Amino acid sequence: MLEMRGICKRYDEVRANRNIDLEVPRGQILGLLGENGSGKTTLMKMLFGIMKADAGTIEFKGKRLDRHTPADAIEAGIGMIHQQFMLVDAMTVAENVMLGWADAGQWLRTREIAQLIRRASQTYGLDLDPNAVVGDLSLGRRQRVEIVKAILRGAELLILDEPTSNLSPPEVAGLFAVMGRLRSEGRSLIFISHKLGEVLEICEEVVVLRDGEVTGKCSVKNATRADLARMMIGREIGLGADRCKRAPGEEILKVDGLSTRGHAGMQQLRDVTFSLRTGEILALAGVDGNGQAELVETIAGLKTAARGRIVIGGHEITFASIKARLAAGVAYIPADRMTTSLVPGMTVEDNLAMRDFHRSPLRRGPWLDRSSFRSQATRKIAEFGIRCAGPGVPTQTLSGGNQQKIVVAREIGRRPRVLLALQPTWGLDPGATRFVIEQIIQLRDAGGAVLYISSELEEVLLLGDRVGVICKGRLLGVVDRHNVDLTKIGLMMAGVEETSEPIEER
Amino acid sequence: MLRPSIDNNQGEEKTAKIDKESVIAKRRWPIPGGFGVTTWRAPLLAAAAIGLALAVSAVPILISGKNPLLAYWAMLRGAIGSADSIAFALNKSTPYILAGVGVAMCFRARVINIGSEGQIAVGGVAASWIALNFSDFPSVIVIAAALIAGAIAGAAWSAIAAVMRLKRGVHEVLCTLMLNFIGLLVVSEVLRGPMGEPGAGFPQSPLFAESSWLPNLFPGIDMHAGIIFAVAAVVICHVFLWHTPFGFRLRLLGGSPNAAAYSGVSFGRSVFEVMLIAGGLAGIAGAIEVLGVHYRLIEGFSQGFGFNAVAIALLAGLNPLAVLPAGLFFAFLEAGALAMQREIGVPSSLVFIIQGLTMIFVLCAIGIGAKERSV
Repeated sequence: MLEMRGICKRYDEVRANRNIDLEVPRGQILGLLGENGSGKTTLMKMLFGIMKADAGTIEFKGKRLDRHTPADAIEAGIGMIHQQFMLVDAMTVAENVMLGWADAGQWLRTREIAQLIRRASQTYGLDLDPNAVVGDLSLGRRQRVEIVKAILRGAELLILDEPTSNLSPPEVAGLFAVMGRLRSEGRSLIFISHKLGEVLEICEEVVVLRDGEVTGKCSVKNATRADLARMMIGREIGLGADRCKRAPGEEILKVDGLSTRGHAGMQQLRDVTFSLRTGEILALAGVDGNGQAELVETIAGLKTAARGRIVIGGHEITFASIKARLAAGVAYIPADRMTTSLVPGMTVEDNLAMRDFHRSPLRRGPWLDRSSFRSQATRKIAEFGIRCAGPGVPTQTLSGGNQQKIVVAREIGRRPRVLLALQPTWGLDPGATRFVIEQIIQLRDAGGAVLYISSELEEVLLLGDRVGVICKGRLLGVVDRHNVDLTKIGLMMAGVEETSEPIEER
Repeated sequence: MLRPSIDNNQGEEKTAKIDKESVIAKRRWPIPGGFGVTTWRAPLLAAAAIGLALAVSAVPILISGKNPLLAYWAMLRGAIGSADSIAFALNKSTPYILAGVGVAMCFRARVINIGSEGQIAVGGVAASWIALNFSDFPSVIVIAAALIAGAIAGAAWSAIAAVMRLKRGVHEVLCTLMLNFIGLLVVSEVLRGPMGEPGAGFPQSPLFAESSWLPNLFPGIDMHAGIIFAVAAVVICHVFLWHTPFGFRLRLLGGSPNAAAYSGVSFGRSVFEVMLIAGGLAGIAGAIEVLGVHYRLIEGFSQGFGFNAVAIALLAGLNPLAVLPAGLFFAFLEAGALAMQREIGVPSSLVFIIQGLTMIFVLCAIGIGAKERSV
């Protein structure tokens, strides 16, 4: 159905796509596998008409697509579901579907559209209420709204860009069921992912990209995880998870009955109690937006607790200032690099200094000691292998992985007693992910205590000495790593009563 | 092996401090500018922009029936034609630079202080009060006291806005703007009451005693010592911004309020401090205007200065050192345009047209530069 031939694209010096061929037959799911920055998204943006290719041809249903816009692509029958949903939170499902859809007519025909949505919802087992406000829906449901949008616009080829990154395991299963139904109807899908397991589970064919080139093309039947990983990364890579065996030491962080007051659109914490010992990693799984950010921010001092106590090394810090917490040995790697843990416009050396600039040695009396800024930066750039043109360049010129290295260098370099890490590998490719994980394990081996929170279950299981789940602001079922029950964790992540993201039988 | 360390100063800071600041800091608003004019290209672009502005300004000059080349020649002579004209422009630039550098510091921290005008006004009132009532003291003391009084009054005026912002969450654009009107009216009010000159046709104070006049830098040239304060303020603000923890806090706040909160920067304290500095500098500017230019308080003496200060701060890319050339450029442009109006007889509104066009072109040029850099 789709044929892309010899697609090339370069941004200045970077060749994002080199001579890529891609074919999608009717009624198949093609997996597009690759690390971050391997050129998957660029390729799809050119297919969907968001960017123009430098060279190459795109043929869809026998017709040549050239200089097309996204509107042309939709017209031709291509639908794209972006990683970030393109929905208006304040509007209902039906209104979102009508938005920007020419065939919905000049007048609002909410009732007819709602009927269409209901019918589609039944056919594909989406369980969508057309009158629900999008902002109230779970991420899994919002994705289904996107799917309905694309289907009603007549998409015969659906591009799904990392669709599983925000979903809990049951939601992923639900998505796969929907994808299966679309396939059986004769629609084609392109499934973009860097998760091998998912690609093996749902796709027929897989194309692997690395550094903008196709490094492998095979049928899933004859592929193994190891094969795909090698094609994707170009070298053998295991997640570096070697840890020394050590009995946890004394209790260093104690969180007791912690609750926060809810804010508009934010999950509140409910009575969270746990303790953390030196030389131990407590890893929490959970779907994004279930109170993870609230938990670490409250411990780090960015949010105020409504009830409960936080004690570090015998000192209560529940209401202490951020500076006092820094001094007490709390380090924090936030999820959001662009606005919280880094200032993109400031230099690498300033970013490395920003949590400790008010203390010696970076401060001497009333002055900043710029030479000490410089020497600290030079040292950390070498020690953590941060790739940059020098300590004086703006941080925004670095790649995502190197930006995160700055954060890790700063936070772990403070030799914290307690490290809070919220999604520290978010958006990183396997190499950088491995680096971050190794650094965290090293800290733990050296006697640091780590609270590690991620929505990647794999990482949680790999890292945690103890493992728990956070759901709807509650901390559930913290168990030792040897007693982990995967089914139970999956259920808890989905929220026990919300196991029903139901897939209706046809 | 890593040794987890702890500094034991948590006790003294263990106050039950609710970080309301971090919540406020979450709100963001866009800020224009915020780039450093460092590349060699900037002056080139600026020159091209000025050329374009003059070319476009030729159209209204032609429409008013004058020869643009003659007009520009008059403008050039008016700006730098003689020692006196240079002195005139430098005097004009002093309040611009003082207020502009304060505004630049505020904008750096995303505090949109547009209240220089009111701060200048009350600074002038305070300085005048000292000059009128304590003229028996030695000249040095009167002048120093008047300048200090101006600084305190200006700082207090901006502190009102800062408190409204921090305690009640009223946006500082609104507070500072409203306080401008009040500040201007305070001048009118005192001139019609306690500080007015009896029998004068115009709302103005009596002439100050000569002991409180700001001395000239060079004998025989009408250039007062204020420009020295302006240069000093620029240098001090530069050092503050780049070499002190205070400046680092401002830059963090400007770069990302979330990152600033994450680094333990108190939003409230930083906003308050930077507003005090900007208000104080504007207050000094007001004091210098009355002590060095008018030798009396007159109604509306600060009118328009506030917006020029904002324009200059933006023109300088919020870089304190660059405020100096930006302020000088503005003042020389204005001095030249005024001379052009006098000599050639073009309408006075042309002065503002040329100023405005130049600003627009120069800002666009800097904008182009910033875009090229950020890619």
